[in-house]
Amino acid sequence: MDRKRTALTVAAAGTAAGVAGLVLIASPAGANEAPPVLPPVSAEALVQSVIDADTPALAGAVELRNNIGLPIPGLPAGSSDEELARVYTDGQGRGRIALKQGGGERTFVQDGTTTWLWNSADKSVTKYTSEGKDDAEEKLADPATAARDLVELIKKDSTVTVDGTARVADRAAYQLVLTPKPTERTLLREVRIAIDAQTRVPLRLEVLANGQSDPALRIGFTEFSTGAQDPALFTFTPPPGAKVIEGKKDDTNKEEHEELFRSADLKVVGEGWDVVATGRVPAALLSAQIPQSGERGGPLDATSILKKLGKEVSGSFGTGYVISTKVGTALVTTDGRVAVGAVPQQVLVDALGQK
Amino acid sequence: MTTMTVRRAPITRVLRSELRMVLRRPRTLVGLGLLGLVPVVMGIGIAIAAASGETGEGAEGMAALVMGNGMLLPIFALSIAVAMLLPLTGAMLAADALAGESSHGTLRGMLMAPVSRGRLLAVKAFGVASVTLLAVVLMAVTGMIAGVALLGGDGMLTASGTSLPFADALGRVLITVVYVTLQVWALSALALAVSAYTEHPLIVVVVTLGVVIVSGVLSAIPALDWIDPVLITTSWEAVGEVISDPISWSPLVEGALRAACYMLIGGSIAYSRMLTRDG
Repeated sequence: MDRKRTALTVAAAGTAAGVAGLVLIASPAGANEAPPVLPPVSAEALVQSVIDADTPALAGAVELRNNIGLPIPGLPAGSSDEELARVYTDGQGRGRIALKQGGGERTFVQDGTTTWLWNSADKSVTKYTSEGKDDAEEKLADPATAARDLVELIKKDSTVTVDGTARVADRAAYQLVLTPKPTERTLLREVRIAIDAQTRVPLRLEVLANGQSDPALRIGFTEFSTGAQDPALFTFTPPPGAKVIEGKKDDTNKEEHEELFRSADLKVVGEGWDVVATGRVPAALLSAQIPQSGERGGPLDATSILKKLGKEVSGSFGTGYVISTKVGTALVTTDGRVAVGAVPQQVLVDALGQK
Repeated sequence: MTTMTVRRAPITRVLRSELRMVLRRPRTLVGLGLLGLVPVVMGIGIAIAAASGETGEGAEGMAALVMGNGMLLPIFALSIAVAMLLPLTGAMLAADALAGESSHGTLRGMLMAPVSRGRLLAVKAFGVASVTLLAVVLMAVTGMIAGVALLGGDGMLTASGTSLPFADALGRVLITVVYVTLQVWALSALALAVSAYTEHPLIVVVVTLGVVIVSGVLSAIPALDWIDPVLITTSWEAVGEVISDPISWSPLVEGALRAACYMLIGGSIAYSRMLTRDG
């Protein structure tokens, strides 16, 4: 039965090759590669070079993996490979960020004098002249800036070491590890930042919680290439038929927000890793009826949502609800006081007591 | 074994006769006609919505952009059809190719003929592949005509907010056609493998659609996210990438490679079954 054997061989070989191919496509590039060999560098010198380095002209794709145990609104949840954004910059302050949003796209273009915000969902363009530009959103979407700020902020409460090398987005990178000092009371074990050996741009930021081997949060490049970019990327012409809105710095919306901030009575207790933000939400908000999407069920009030997400606790602060995730805890008391931090519950209770 | 000189029919003639046979089946023609109508019906629906003053707000993703953006209609139609209509077409064609012939008893004659089994399978696969390609091209053409005529717009507004000239827009439609065709071929290869094992065409269609539906269910379960990258349906969502500007190639290339892997799996299983089949 020669033919039968041939047939089996063909089926086995073809299927094996196909399955191997599928698995190969699925596995992230560089996962099984040996870490690159790089000249040793001290942690201080590495941090300094990151702060000094200018962002070169680059193009990249950014991915976010969120595994903290609570969905972040507007961001992909779960551990799937979800591409968050594509980033382009010419290294001279002009840039483009394209954020994927459920089949649509939001595009931010900074052309040097104007920032354009395009939203494909309602075909609208918002235009900010440079003074009025809100760079908070850019900072969030740009892992380079986010990581840099973090390094500066927590240097004095952390042990900063260089822990070998890694390959990120097919580039050789140093692994900078920030570990909280033993006196810090935090849920976090360490923060790892992969820094490109050549350009000194942070390529990936990972937050690891106690008792977890996989990062709770990871944001980083999956593709990264330097070199001059097409200048057309950094210009934007509102397409015909699009609504163009002039964005103003002090529009009413913002004033409302500021008003809300004032009434929130925000305070920061502690410093370093166990910093806790405390504040106050208007009592009306807690009992506010939130209309539910969909037909099922009546409107929910905020308290019942808290009940669902957190567990009820009581102590010197009165009673409240604790919402715990792998990287942080939030405590909301029934009289509207709030404390949030990357800390265990007891630290939040202490922080509320300090007021 | 005595050596025989077999005078083979020229391959082009064989392929042409296979194609003619597939296209002569009434269900193929009806299927193609209905597929060609899909973009037209969608175009009419969107045009009516636009005329009655709806602005398309609240629509998701590509649907929000297609109003007044005619060259997007073929891409929109194909991205919707790739989820169910085109897989159904591919499965039907693959079912007719082997299981259908088998149920009529005509496959037996072909297996007895002094033709290599590989050649027979290749001819059958060619018939399936070229008619699915025809279906996709047909949808793109009717989509473009309906889009430009009903929705208007010269060029294409991309999801990134840039306007592409007509030639570039045509390029994007072509990329979509190639990508969608590859994906349908991948599923048809699996269907052909099933088709080689059975003589009931209905089983082929049911199994193939079962694969599509189960893949969809698996990808919807968050705990099974790790299985996503190997599912055949994962690549189908990447069609939306063609309307970004600049186009991001990596998901498209990944999807095309995944389709190639599935074609290899389906093709080799079908071939091995054809080798051992007695008729």
